Parts: sequence; C-alpha cells; structure tokens
Amino acid sequence: MSAPVCEIGGGEAQLAGCSLLIPDVQSEPLPILPVEPAPCTQACPAGINVKAYVSLIAEGRFAEALQVVRQHCPLPGVCGRICHHPCETVCRRGTVDEPISIRSLKRFVADLAVDEAPPAPWPLVDKDAKVAIVGSGPAGLTAAYDLRRAGYPVTIFEAEAEAGGMLRYGITEYRLPRDVLDSEIAYLAGVGLEFETGCRVGRDLQLEEMLEQGYVATLLAVGAQRGRPLRVPGAEACAGVEDALAFLRRVNQGDRSPVRGRVVVIGGGSTAVEAARSALRLGADSVDILYRRYREELLADEEEIRAAESEGIAFRFLVAPTRLIVEGEALEALECVRVGLGEPDASGRRSPIQIPGSEFRVEADRVLAAIGQAADLEFMPPEILAQVSENELLRVDPLTTMTGLQGVFAAGDAVSGPATVIDAIAAGHQAAEAIQHYLEEGRPSIAPQAPELRAPLEYGLPDSPPLTADRGRPELRSLKAGAEFAEVERPFGEAEAVEEARRCLRCGPCGECRVCTPSCRRRHIMVRFPVGDGSARRAPILLRAPGSIAMSLSNQSSTRAQLLPESRPRLLPEVAPSEGDSVEVSPVRVQIVEEQCRGCGRCIEVCPFGAITLSGEGPDSVARVEPSLCRGCNLCCAICPTAAAEPNALSVTWWGSRLADAFDGRAEAVNEAGPIVVLACQRRAGSIEPTLYQHSAHVEVIRFRCVGQVDAGMLVELYRRGASSVLVAGCLTERCRFGEGAHQATEQVARAQRLISLLGGGQDRVRSDWSVDRAGDPIETPVLRMIAEVFGARPDKTGRQPC
Amino acid sequence: MRDLIQLKKATQAALCLECGKCSTMCPLARFGGFSAARMMSIHEPEGEIHGHAAAVQRCLTCGACEVRCPQGVRYTEFVRGLRVELPEETRWSCPHGAVFQESARWAAEGAVNGRNSSWLEDGLAVAEEGEVALFVGCLPLFDVVFGSELEVQMVEIARSAVRLLNQLGIEPVVVAEERCCGHDLLWSGEEETFEKLAVANTTAFEERGVRHLLTTCAECCRTWRLDYPRYVESYQPRVQHISEFLAERLEGESLSFQDLGEAGTMTFHDPCRLGRQLGVFDAPRQVMASLPGSEVVEMERSGADAQCCGTPGFIQCNRDSRRLQTQRLASAAATGASKLVTACPKCLIHFRCAQAEDRLNERQAAEIQIEDLTVLAASLLTIDKEAEKDSPSKR
Repeated sequence: MSAPVCEIGGGEAQLAGCSLLIPDVQSEPLPILPVEPAPCTQACPAGINVKAYVSLIAEGRFAEALQVVRQHCPLPGVCGRICHHPCETVCRRGTVDEPISIRSLKRFVADLAVDEAPPAPWPLVDKDAKVAIVGSGPAGLTAAYDLRRAGYPVTIFEAEAEAGGMLRYGITEYRLPRDVLDSEIAYLAGVGLEFETGCRVGRDLQLEEMLEQGYVATLLAVGAQRGRPLRVPGAEACAGVEDALAFLRRVNQGDRSPVRGRVVVIGGGSTAVEAARSALRLGADSVDILYRRYREELLADEEEIRAAESEGIAFRFLVAPTRLIVEGEALEALECVRVGLGEPDASGRRSPIQIPGSEFRVEADRVLAAIGQAADLEFMPPEILAQVSENELLRVDPLTTMTGLQGVFAAGDAVSGPATVIDAIAAGHQAAEAIQHYLEEGRPSIAPQAPELRAPLEYGLPDSPPLTADRGRPELRSLKAGAEFAEVERPFGEAEAVEEARRCLRCGPCGECRVCTPSCRRRHIMVRFPVGDGSARRAPILLRAPGSIAMSLSNQSSTRAQLLPESRPRLLPEVAPSEGDSVEVSPVRVQIVEEQCRGCGRCIEVCPFGAITLSGEGPDSVARVEPSLCRGCNLCCAICPTAAAEPNALSVTWWGSRLADAFDGRAEAVNEAGPIVVLACQRRAGSIEPTLYQHSAHVEVIRFRCVGQVDAGMLVELYRRGASSVLVAGCLTERCRFGEGAHQATEQVARAQRLISLLGGGQDRVRSDWSVDRAGDPIETPVLRMIAEVFGARPDKTGRQPC
Repeated sequence: MRDLIQLKKATQAALCLECGKCSTMCPLARFGGFSAARMMSIHEPEGEIHGHAAAVQRCLTCGACEVRCPQGVRYTEFVRGLRVELPEETRWSCPHGAVFQESARWAAEGAVNGRNSSWLEDGLAVAEEGEVALFVGCLPLFDVVFGSELEVQMVEIARSAVRLLNQLGIEPVVVAEERCCGHDLLWSGEEETFEKLAVANTTAFEERGVRHLLTTCAECCRTWRLDYPRYVESYQPRVQHISEFLAERLEGESLSFQDLGEAGTMTFHDPCRLGRQLGVFDAPRQVMASLPGSEVVEMERSGADAQCCGTPGFIQCNRDSRRLQTQRLASAAATGASKLVTACPKCLIHFRCAQAEDRLNERQAAEIQIEDLTVLAASLLTIDKEAEKDSPSKR
C-alpha cells in the first residue's frame, strides 16, 4: 500500500483520500522563513529577533520575550544597557515620532530575571571535541554559549579573577551595574559553560597543554585591552599622564581614590567618554575631552556623548596635543594645536592635519589617553604572535575567523579593534559557527554574505499607527553625591514597557517568536525547532502531535514523515497510517503553474493575505505566491481564469474522489433524484455532519478549506452529474477566517444559477447559505428544507420520513 | 481506437517531409519549446502517443502551419485526432473552471432540452419555422461569465443579427431546442459527447424546416459546415457566417448605413476558424468597406497569415495566449485604426480580456476599440421607417 499523502499547513493537516482533517494543527511557524524580516531584526548584527520580543512584551509575555532574546544573545541585561542599538536607528516608528526604545525594553525583560536562580545546565553534551575559549568578554561568551548549545563541552579561560572581560573592566558601573553582569555570567555558568578564571593562557597554561587536555579548537577572544601610548614627547615618563583604559580598569576594580584638579581626556571613543565620566565622578574639578576630529566623527555612542555633556564634560574638537608643559615633577598644561582636515583616510574620514603656528595651552593636572587599543598578547607563544598585524591586532581569514594556525580562531576586539558589544556578540556567533563546522567537517565554514538591508521605508506604514503618547527612553538620573556610580539610566516599569512595546508598527510578516509552538492550546501538533537554531540550518523541523502525528518537515514542497506511537486519532481507520508508517507531507499552499499563468492579476485582487505578486514584465509577467504568507484558502484558484493557480490541498484527484463518493461510485447518478450535495467550509461542516449523514442516501458533504474556492464550473458539473440540489454553505464575511470567502462564493453561486437557468435547468436547485446562527444548526436547517422540497414525502432508503 | 497510421494517412501527416516550414508559421514556435514539425514525426506505436501529450494539447489548432505546408498535411485534423486518443487526464484544465465545457456536456446528455431566449427584445422578429435560421450559440452564457467583468453584452451580437436580417425582410428561425455546437469538446478530444450535440442540433433544425443556417460565430460556422456533416450525413443545410450572407446582399438591397464619421479607420482580425479554415477572407472586409466613411487597413499578418487570438474557443488559456493577444493588439494599434473588428465572439472576449488585464495591472494597454462585425453593422443601420411599420412585431 502506498503511503497516504498528508497535507499540512495553514492550520490543518489533511490526509489525501479522505475528507477528514486534523484540525488546528499548529504549523503556523512552519512556512515562516524570515523572507523580509522587520528592519529592526535585519539591523541587529547578532541576529536577535527584535520584532518578536517587542511583540511579546506588548502582550505582557515577558519570560517568552526574554527567551527570544536569549536565542541569539547570551547577555540580554548587558545589551539592554550598553548596546548602541542599530535596531532603533532603523525603527520605522521613528518616521512617525520616536523610535521604539528597544534597548530599554530588552533591559526590562532581562532585569526581571536578575534575581532568578541560575538555570539547570543544558542536558545536551554529545560531542567529544572540547573547545577552549580564551577570554570571557562578549565575543568569547557568545561563542561558548553557541557551542555549548550545540552540544560541545566548552571551557572559558579568563586571565582576570572574574569573567566578563571588557564588560567588567572597561565599562563602568554607572552604565552596567555589576550585579547585572554577575547574574548573566551566573546564568551562563548555570547552563553549562565552564569558567577557568585567573588563568592566563601562555603563562599559566600553554597552548600545547590545552591540546593535550583535548581542546581541539581554540578561540582567542582576548579583546583589545592594551591602550596605545600617547605619542607626545615625555609622556611615558610623566606621572600625570595615564592610559585611560588602565585608569578605567582600576576604577572598575573598586579603586575609588579621588581625582583632583583639571582632567583632560584625549580621544573620541567610548573609552574616552567612560574615562571622562569616571574622572568626574571621582571628584575632578573639570573634565575636558580633546578630539582631533569633528563632533560627528566621535566614535562613542551619541547617547553617551549627550549624557557626558549633560554631566558637565566639555568637548573640544579639532585639537591635538603636541607637548607636555611640566613644572618640576607636576604636569601643568598641555600644548595643543588646531587641526584642519585633509583627504579622507582609510577609514573614510578626513585625516587631521595640524595647523602650524596655532599652538595654545590647555591647563591640565592629569591627562588620560584614550587614543586607541591593541590586543594584549603578553605571554602568547611566538606562533600566535606571528599572527599579529601591523596595527597590533590578530589577523584572521575574515570569512572563516581562523588564524593562520590550524584550529586556532580569533574573534572580537582582538581582531576588529575596539568595537561595540553587539558587534562582539555577532563576531562570537560567526566564530562559533566556523568552529562547529571545523569540528564536524574538518574545515571552518565560510560566513554567508550579510544580506543587503532593505530600505526601512519600503514597508508601507499602517493607515493608523498605534499612536500613544510620545515616549522615548526613560530619562537619566542626575548625578548625586555619594551615589556617583549608581546606574544612571532609569528602567521601564511594567506598564511603561508594555505601552512602549505597543507603539511598535509590526513591520514585515510574522515575527517568528514561535511561542505558539509549545503553547498550542489544543496541543495537536507542535513544532519543535532544532537546537542551536542558526539561520543557516533552519529547515528541518520536528512536528510532534500528542496523540496524532509526528513528522519531520522541511520548508520544501513535500517531505517524508514518520508516524510515532499513539498516532491515528481523528483519521478514518482505513486511511489512517499505522505507527511507523511513512507519510508524505506537503504544506497546504497554492502553487502557480507558470506556463499556465497569463499574469492577469485577478488572484492578487482576491488574495486575503497579500501573498501574491506579479513578477516579470508585461506579457511575460507571472503570479508568484509567497509561501510564508499563503494560508491555502484557495480563493485565487476560483478566480484564476486559466487554472494556473493550483490548490495543493484539494487536488484534482481529491475532487474526483469526492465526486465518486457523492455519486455512489458511479460517474453519474442514475436514479432521477440524485443526492443533495453540500459544499461546506470545514468550520461549518464539522459539527453537523453526523446529523446530515442520517440522510446518507440523499446528502453528501464535500468539505473545503473555504467555500470561496468553489467555482461555477464545479456547481454546473455537480448538477450535470445528477445532483438533485447543491448547497454551498460557509461563514458570513465577518466570520470567514479568509475574509472574502463568502463574497466570492456568493458570486459564483449566482453565476451558476444564471447559467443553469439559461440552459433550461431549475436555478433554485443551486443555493447558498450563510447562516449566522452559531448556536443552532448552521447547515442542517437549509439542507433539511431542501430534502423536503426535493424528495417530498417519499421515504428515503432507510425508510424514514425526511422531515 | 483509431490507428495512428490510419490517422496519419487520413490527414496526410504520413507525407510530412519534416521540412520545418510549418514551424516558421507557427505562432507558438516563436515562444520556443513547441515544434510543429517535430510533432509530425510521432511514430510511436499505438498507445504510446501520450508521451507527446503536452505538445499535442498545447497546439492552438489555428492552422497557420497548413498555409505553408508543401505536402498538404492537415495538421489541425491530425492534432484533433491525436487528442481523441490521448487519455483524459492529459487534457488541459479548461479556463474559467471549465464552465462552458460542463455546460456543453450537460446539454449533450439531454438532461435539459432547449435554451432560454429571453435575450430577444421588442422590435425583433423571429420565426418558429422557416428556411433561414440563426444559430445563437453560447452568447447568453458568455454574458453570465464575462458581462460585468469585461463590460460586454454578447447577446447584442444575436440581436444585431436579427435586426440586420429583419431589415433584409427575413425573420430568422430561432430554435429553442438549440444546444452548444460542441466546438470546444470536439477540439479537446471529446468526440462522443460532440456527436450527441451534433445529432441533437441537426435534428432540431431539420424539424423546423431550416435549409439555410446563419451563425455570428466563426467557430459555430466551422463546426456546422465542416464537422457536423461527418457525423450527420442526412441533414446538411447551407451554412454561412453572417458576414458572407450580408456580403452577398450588399448590392441593391435595402441595407443602408449611417456614416461612421471620424472613427472610420478599422482593421479586421481574421478568426482562424473563419479565415484559414473556411476560406472566408473577403466577405467581412466587404461588409466593413460598405459602411459609409470606413477605411479598412490591414495588420501585419492578416488574411491567411493572420495570427491566432491565442485561445481557440475556451479550450486553453495560458501564457502563450496572453503573449499572442498582446502582440495582436499591438499590431492592430500600429495600423492607426480606431477599431479592431472581428467576426468571432470568442476572439472578441479574448482581446477584451487582455485589454482589461492591462488596465487591472496598470500596464500600457493597446488603445483600440474592439468590436464585433455584426454589432458594428447593425448599430449603423438606418432603419427604414416604412419597412418597420410593415414588419410584424416579435412573435
């Protein structure tokens, strides 16, 4: 016996050869590939599904929102505070008023989990190859997180006493409180990441030893922790000059010794601003930041800059130091020159040129230099040092993240130079994927080209955006004596967070949050996604249906699936496959036969889901169905003049077999009074079928996903084959789940009635019914009336009198 | 089952030299993937021709290939013969939910007897019995399906025909028992059903004493003139397209027309069934030329070389159809004519459909008015008041 065909999608599964359906199949996430994700999601370097978690917050589903963030981000609380949020930059709400404060929303859900006990370790450790991660900054943690999730035992080696890397020693507490960082690291340790702190690779542990211990792959994620020296005569010897990074490290390790006098910070990156704000908090009389370019070219985040300015820090632009002015031992001032801008350099920015004769004095008791950072590779063996580029960073193949040494990878600031936390997380993902591929295939994977960002405005704005009061990020707390290092950014309260999330315009298709899968109310079929769901390996999906079917589905047109135990409820016994049977599964979707399509565009007009577009020009244009949007209502099949739109759910064979059923296995009804044929949508047919079948001699019900699929040809055919009457019964427009089904079916019924009348038939024998009475018997009454009219008082085959 | 060799002999396909001249004429061959010449070389033994089903079903049966064939191969007949042999499932899904085919099948089964003639209006005189009859065809059905969407009123063609005939002093017989001529079923291979229709129609018209049958549809005309006699030998009335009938009576008869005025330039689309298959090229042009103020200009590919409108009957409609319609409309517009006149309701519907689609999709549409010859002529008729008084009113 050949395997039955099971069609699934759009909410139902259907076995070919029978009209019974497995209702309410939760296959919704199945066709949802991120074809055109929302701009925010596209903009996130780490691939966090932004729209999904914002939507979930809007529904008050905070824990699920956090789970969505954690899919791609091991550090939600960190990112919720210090991310430079490219998502907000492209947020289309910004074209209406202000972008959604996505970062603060993430922080809100992350904060809810701060006090939670660390989770139980992920159970899956099924790989032998161990991976060593050197450095516990965001890049290292992310790579470790991904690899551990994929089943690899991972150990993170951290030179410092505590994990966190630059997050702990470079980012100040007033931006990122330590309890938040600690809690996130505890979470990561909880799920199964091993930490070896206080272990500097190269000094405490040699690379060879790591190999001996079974670490087959190593990721160097050591960051760019060494500040570049200020290239001004005498700077190295001067006590008043300090590397800003070293200063921050001391402050972040708890050294709160006061800073006196006038502080000058040189540089324009995040480190410079952090150091300046820290110095201010430690008591500096004044803090100036000198930068040799424009304000627009500051590398620090705009919000940080504004916060610094609001705290009283002065920026001086187009200025460069040339000389230290020292009185005895003490630093007195800096001699600076004005700077003009020349030709664009390698970074695309115009290079600063000192203007001779423009020297001036900047009074300074202390200078903090934040003019660049390099990878700190002290103690590293010579073979690693051989991988260092001229700008003192690690050199890797950018496509694979592998260094010149086999099995040694590098990622994060150590490769890119100082970058943002989300860039480091993105680098961690890439490295993890490359390492996994290396361990499985013997060579690292090649990162796919990042897809081009769609212009955010290509999405139409909704007619009436959900406008509420203008909001933005919560205001900053002002500096208070005695609480200088308290967190400056205020969090959202629950109501505020929900309100903020509700401002989201919900660009693009479904957000793919997938919360519907495990929480399917009726638990008929759930979709389970593979662990470590990277976009590259998204395709296979395990469907599990308690008490029915479990199958492996791909997003292809059809695939094989296997039935698991406890299968076969709700299926006719003769067609229900038994346990272990192979079942062919195909998604319920319309397919366009391209050579049949004349590109007329009628289908576009009727599609309730906007799933159809025309591609190609003029006479060569053809309709294209976007599978992620098609719900298989088949309204387009009824309107298609050329039968180019083919229903996948109801194939020709299906229609043929139903006709054969309806006419008792014969091609046509032989007796004068043929059956009454009811064409009904599933919703209406389901509950009343048993009653109707009491009149089985006379009534045949043919189910459709939506009766909007019925066309006049079908009705005339039924009539021709001898149906004594035909009733089309569906839901009213306002209750039709496909919107236009009733409207379309009514038109086709009217058309059939007129044709039949012209051909000399009785047009009242084809009717439609759109009963509103939900509580009653929506189909029964009109059908019973028909039975009475057609058969009069004659008893049916069972000898009963029809009513 | 008919023998393939017999079919080849009967249609002279056996004489094919495989010279390929047919493909040079074939409109589908221009789109690629279809070779008329190659189909000639189907040599498989009986029962295995379905390997060629896709090509056999794709052919338009427009007959353009036959024009150039040096061997006189009756290509369209060959294809039709093959379609009879091919299994049902290889037949193409007929357009519009197969509603016209279903109607025809139903009519063939005799479940209904006759048609509604509510299209007749006051002032039109028709007879129950007589010499000359009008075969109305499926015009009222077309209005149900296309009336609102394409803004057409196809029954106006029948009304116009009656109006013209009345003007000539003829009250045509309109037969209530008339059924679909069966053209589409014949050409999609449903020979048995077709035969039932042929018998039913000829019987009905014979009973009314009809000796001369007029049609307004090129396909009905071909079917009655060429196909029915093969199935019903006993009754063979004279069959004419209305344009032929009118052309014979232009001289010295009581037909007089208003001046077309500025919109007088028009071009004629030869329906395949009327032109190439019945050899009627001049009659419709003579009728057009007789309209005062008219100027008939010719399209690229006209007469025997005319390009098909893309869909024979309602048998198949697809991307090829759309391309052909677009090309044909562009050729028509290129003549500078203000009207594209045709003598087949189906050509008219197909062209109107292509125009409507262009508008629906906001594409550049060929701006030319598509008209039926019968309607055009009748609309210009100057009614002789005296004659009207004398003529009997509607039966």
